[in-house]
Amino acid sequence: MDLNPIWLVEDSASDIELTLSALQESSLANSVVVLRDGSEALERLSELRPGGAVPPVILLDIKMPKVSGMEVLRKIKSDPSLKNLPVVMLTSSNAGPDVRECYLLGANAYVVKPVEFGDFFDALKTLGKF
Amino acid sequence: MSQANSTLVAETLMMAIVDSSDDAIYSKLLDGTILSWNRAAEIIYGYTASEAIGQPMSLVVPPERHQEVQDLLQQIRQGDRVKHFETVRERKDGSRIDVSVTLSPVMDAQGKITACSVIARDITVRKDAEKHLEQMEGRYRGLLEAAPDGMVVVNQGGKIVLLNAQAEKHFGYRRDELLGQKVTNIIPEGFAERLIADGTRSAAEALAQQIGTGIELNGRRKDGTEFPIEIMLSPLESTEGILVTAAIRDITERKRAEREILALNRDLERRVELRTAELSCAMRGLSESVKELESFSYSVSHDLRAPLRHLDGFLTLLYKKSYSTLDDSAKHYVDCALQASQRMGRLIDDLLQFSRLGRSEIRKMQVDLNLIVNQIRKELEPETRDRQVVWKLDILPNVPADEGMLRQVLENLIGNALKFTRRRPVAEIEIGSEPGPNGEVVIFVRDNGAGFDAQYYNKMFQVFQRLHSDQEFEGTGIGLAIARRVVERHGGRIWAEGIVGKGASFYFALPS
Repeated sequence: MDLNPIWLVEDSASDIELTLSALQESSLANSVVVLRDGSEALERLSELRPGGAVPPVILLDIKMPKVSGMEVLRKIKSDPSLKNLPVVMLTSSNAGPDVRECYLLGANAYVVKPVEFGDFFDALKTLGKF
Repeated sequence: MSQANSTLVAETLMMAIVDSSDDAIYSKLLDGTILSWNRAAEIIYGYTASEAIGQPMSLVVPPERHQEVQDLLQQIRQGDRVKHFETVRERKDGSRIDVSVTLSPVMDAQGKITACSVIARDITVRKDAEKHLEQMEGRYRGLLEAAPDGMVVVNQGGKIVLLNAQAEKHFGYRRDELLGQKVTNIIPEGFAERLIADGTRSAAEALAQQIGTGIELNGRRKDGTEFPIEIMLSPLESTEGILVTAAIRDITERKRAEREILALNRDLERRVELRTAELSCAMRGLSESVKELESFSYSVSHDLRAPLRHLDGFLTLLYKKSYSTLDDSAKHYVDCALQASQRMGRLIDDLLQFSRLGRSEIRKMQVDLNLIVNQIRKELEPETRDRQVVWKLDILPNVPADEGMLRQVLENLIGNALKFTRRRPVAEIEIGSEPGPNGEVVIFVRDNGAGFDAQYYNKMFQVFQRLHSDQEFEGTGIGLAIARRVVERHGGRIWAEGIVGKGASFYFALPS
């Protein structure tokens, strides 16, 4: 199992705390790297080296200041060296347009916040990773 | 045949012809003595041949006309013929008859005029008819003169043969200036063509045409000015052939009034257009503000989710973490806080749903309502599990609608029915359909639950308006507003009836 840290890209402190709490419940062994906004994520992405440590999954919040989750997703999925990274979008609601756009951009799965342990696990299963 | 024989045959033939004629044929000497008298003469004059022959002609001549006979005979002596002379004769019974006589001189073998032959035709009937006609014409002229409209009578040549005082006034002519003139002098477009056409129609047809509208033309006065007229034609049979009577009405005033009405109408139309434009502007403004409200609701409810989420999340964590350390009242506080946040979540969800309704497209297909009702019943199973619920379900027709939206309506209505019958030992819920006016389909959901006070009917379908307190029956007060939105977007309508403590019926009609 890939034990590299999972990335959580989320700007809201409360959401971070709640998500981490849920992740703890899921008894995932991986540690979590928290990136506070989209621009941080893009920076970290650019530092990735092929063959180096790559996150097994990126949890990406949609609505963030500066650089939004959609833009990060777009960047990941349009970059040949990055597009295979599994991305799980975190949405406020399963309102149609948001979800549709995520999938159009190439998200692998989405989870409605607050991240519930069960939903999260289902999402991971769709990724076929764990 | 011998000479004598053929003469005899000829004479016999002659006599037969004379006697079979309907006209009186007789002859007299130049002094007037009657020589021969045919059968018709007997009938016409009333004297038999034996009574007439040998008598003077004056037998059948009224006293005042004796000189006339002398004059006729004089002409005969001169060798002239008199043809179709109309005169009056007297019958045996004294009655007068009108006759038309044709006299011819009779010559002997030497060519000397010795007698006169007369053919007399009884023209009494004809004369009577002519007199009658004259009388009628006279009466007609009287009527004509008295008519309020200008009356002009035109002959087949298009010339005016009669007109009345009104016509003189209309056109500014004296009668004698117009008689004999072409009617096109006063009605330039003429109805001469119409004259020929209309004048030859049967009296019945013409009468039928007369009733109703006339023909609008222009009349021209003596001074050259033109004015609008309306004429109505009718044929007139007369001794001079078929004439056409035109009743002429000066419609200058009427035309002016018509123009005014038209102008008023146009003005009215313009005002209506303006008003409509204003209204549709306002409507657009209204629909824009509705759209604004909807997008506002959308973004607000979206943004509200985050803090709500946190509220709920941390309360739950708190609950889990400190459950054992909290005393009863503390636990109660946390419970209340959690419930409140959950309620807020529902409110926001509902609000979001409501706002989405306005923005989404309606995708119409034939929707199987029975399927939806059964699905909803299954979804509501957890609620009905420990309850006595009697379902009365009719077979519902398919309706053209957006399936998802219609499902929301039924979810709301059926959900409500279940909710408000909660206090009944046996809940009765009836779902059916009835035909509505104009081919609409009307679906109803009826329950025997708490009902509602019809006094507050207006509030029922509004956003967040409820007719029951949250303690009685929970709810956000948006379900019916959503249902109404959906139904109205489909071009239908929704309404309800209810009696407090008895039950409620909710109806919605969709165009088919």
